[in-house]
Amino acid sequence: MGAQPVALELSPSAPATSSAGAVRAAWLRNWSPRWLALPFPLFLLLLWYVAAQFEWVAPQVLPSPQAVLLTFIDLVASGEMFDNLKISLLRVLIGFGVGVVGGLLLGVAMGLSPVFKDYVYPLFKAFSQVPVLGWLPLLMLLVGIDEALKIILISKAALVPIALNTFKGIENVPARYVEVARVLKFSRWQLLWRVIFPAALPPIWNGVRYGFTHAWLALVVVELLASSEGLGYMIVFGRQLFQLDVVMAAVVVVGAVGYVLDRVLARIEVILLGWRRSGF
Amino acid sequence: MSQAGTLDIQHLSKSYPVKNGDLSVLEDVTLTITPGEFVSIVGSSGCGKSTLLRLIVGLEEDYQGQVLLDGERIVGTSLRRGIVFQEHRLFPWLTVENNIQLGLLNADLTPGQKRLAVREHIALVGLQGFEKSYPHQLSGGMAQRVAIARALVSKPEILLLDEPFGALDALTRAYLQQELHRIWQAEGITMILVTHDVEEAIYLGDKVVVMEPRPGRIRRIVPVDLAHPRERAATAFAEVKQTVLKEFSGDSASLAEPPLRVEVADPEQIRQWRFAI
Amino acid sequence: MSFLHPEDKHPVPKVLRGWVLPLLLLALWWLAAHFHWSSSPLLVPVDKVWDTAVEQVRSGELWSALEASLRRDLIGFAIGVSGGLAFGIAFGLSRLFERMIGPTFHTLKQISLFAWIPLLSVWFGLGDAAKVAFLSLAAFFPVVLNTFEGIRSVPPELIEAARVLKFNRRQWLFKLILPAASPSILAGIHLALIYAWLATLGAEYLLVSGKGIGNTMIDGRELFLMDLVIFGVIVVGFVGFALNWLAARLERRLLAWRGRSVAQF
Repeated sequence: MGAQPVALELSPSAPATSSAGAVRAAWLRNWSPRWLALPFPLFLLLLWYVAAQFEWVAPQVLPSPQAVLLTFIDLVASGEMFDNLKISLLRVLIGFGVGVVGGLLLGVAMGLSPVFKDYVYPLFKAFSQVPVLGWLPLLMLLVGIDEALKIILISKAALVPIALNTFKGIENVPARYVEVARVLKFSRWQLLWRVIFPAALPPIWNGVRYGFTHAWLALVVVELLASSEGLGYMIVFGRQLFQLDVVMAAVVVVGAVGYVLDRVLARIEVILLGWRRSGF
Repeated sequence: MSQAGTLDIQHLSKSYPVKNGDLSVLEDVTLTITPGEFVSIVGSSGCGKSTLLRLIVGLEEDYQGQVLLDGERIVGTSLRRGIVFQEHRLFPWLTVENNIQLGLLNADLTPGQKRLAVREHIALVGLQGFEKSYPHQLSGGMAQRVAIARALVSKPEILLLDEPFGALDALTRAYLQQELHRIWQAEGITMILVTHDVEEAIYLGDKVVVMEPRPGRIRRIVPVDLAHPRERAATAFAEVKQTVLKEFSGDSASLAEPPLRVEVADPEQIRQWRFAI
Repeated sequence: MSFLHPEDKHPVPKVLRGWVLPLLLLALWWLAAHFHWSSSPLLVPVDKVWDTAVEQVRSGELWSALEASLRRDLIGFAIGVSGGLAFGIAFGLSRLFERMIGPTFHTLKQISLFAWIPLLSVWFGLGDAAKVAFLSLAAFFPVVLNTFEGIRSVPPELIEAARVLKFNRRQWLFKLILPAASPSILAGIHLALIYAWLATLGAEYLLVSGKGIGNTMIDGRELFLMDLVIFGVIVVGFVGFALNWLAARLERRLLAWRGRSVAQF
């Protein structure tokens, strides 16, 4: 995430005529005050409002922004929003938790034991070729459409990237550091805890964040397809009844919650990996 | 003054298996280093000087001949033999003092004694005030000083230095050479320095071992009988430098770098640290 | 005695180890079916899956389903990638554009992909149009992000070199910015490929009309035809693998100038 010290300028074909002109040109190119973020979304909002007001499209297809807002307030007030949110959150946390634990264990085992890796990695790789959704019908047949299905799918979604990143992270620990440990006579445990894990932590945490994105994705899909409660269910239900205002309210919440949780993981990353200002 | 040891290298040879046959990296190297001596090893690329160092510190095995420390055959790595690499190899997730403390991880000292030793060595390398800094906050020269402190904190008998200042600019290098000399005099341990900088070798060493490549052998050992502190501009210094450089001139092949990097090690070998389960 | 030296004294030779688990599982499955360890109709014998597979291939069902899925996939992918490149380059080159459109984009990006489907289904109907729209969205986001990041990370040293060499606008873009950003851009396209395939399946589950490999599996599920479902899973896996492999090959070829220093992933 490096900000450029030199503003990315497209050099004009003719040089600036005067130094004052050059200064002004540079200032203009770098001009980007904070409030610039507002015009575009406000414009979209206005467009939306006008479109709904003049019914350019049927209200079932495009509810007015006021309607969405009112519905949102309604849902929160009646507790319906929180109830569904709670259920979705619980699901994703359990599934993600299982995926993290499983992924870490698998990744560590493959990273540390070449023999284990030889046995397990090919099968693991084959399984990971099938995207999470590819397993859905199969799992539906095996475990029905209850919580088990959702948890399994969500864990699988998280497990694959975490295991892969953990494995590669451990495998790619620079030999340089391991040699230092050898010279300083580290025991096996010391090598593991003081060198391998700290060195592999950046890619491992990357895997965890990526895994969460996938877990959240899987949650939404499985709730859209096979659920009787949760945020995804709200979306589907609203859709069936052509209550797009409900749908939009739920979509907003899905976006917001997903964002917040990812931010939490990012914050943890800063805490864990604060030592990493420049690269290795 | 810590206890220094006698290093006896006898008929050391090492070769690597490469695509067509074996590449001989060292051939019949014999060298004795007395306690407290400072030995500089110079040679162009490919003369095996780094391999020699790695064999002495125990990072490479599988060789012919033997290396004895105080009469005992060396086996693997040991806290009695420390090394400073060309890259500082500090652990980026640890502060300066924690990095140095790693050298004492397996030493038989109380935590209080360890803390004291770390403090002493931070002072020795002149980095007071930087105890809580992280490696990425340090300049190259400072980081290398931390690496030296880490290697010395366990009071080894021998300190090996593999082109420690190669990655630094000329001014920092000159400063660190002085520092290294000061530390050597203060600690009194045996030091073996590998470098391609002839001046550095003469400035620091009691003797200069000139090696030649393909295969790596000792060409000549030039004693440096100059008093400290040594003046690089002095005539006597220049004479020794001439003597050493003469070993290189006339034989431009030994000065030339090998054309392509020889892919010597099997990539799998580099990951040899993983558990044997 | 060397430090943690892995001794390859393990009985099974290295090349064969990867086969042990799959063959074991296969054997277990075969035994379970053969000896009827379970009375569930879901326990189909191994050869039934093979028969179904052969049938699907012979009747052409497989090809039409695959063709439908892949066609949608590639169209959506192409639209998403082109749009993504345009946006990503615009973000990278124009700070103004980034400031104005960026925050909105980043906000919309937060919405988990599949949450868009119900809205899209209302706006585009239940047929192919909605699916392609969804797929384009799936491919769009990773390409924008990676392209933007790639352009932003062009080393300032190279930019200064270009200024000294008096690059004009066109040369700037095509001879410096895009090549320098190409690793990131290609990584984004690779991601887009993965997400698009994932989205293809999801779209077929959620917007059930029409044909596709996802539909095949859903049908199989509804009719309790485990063999058909398993067959579908295998096909999906293969396609995923093939797409990944292609993308990796392309990346390696186009980024050969980078040398082997970059860690393989």
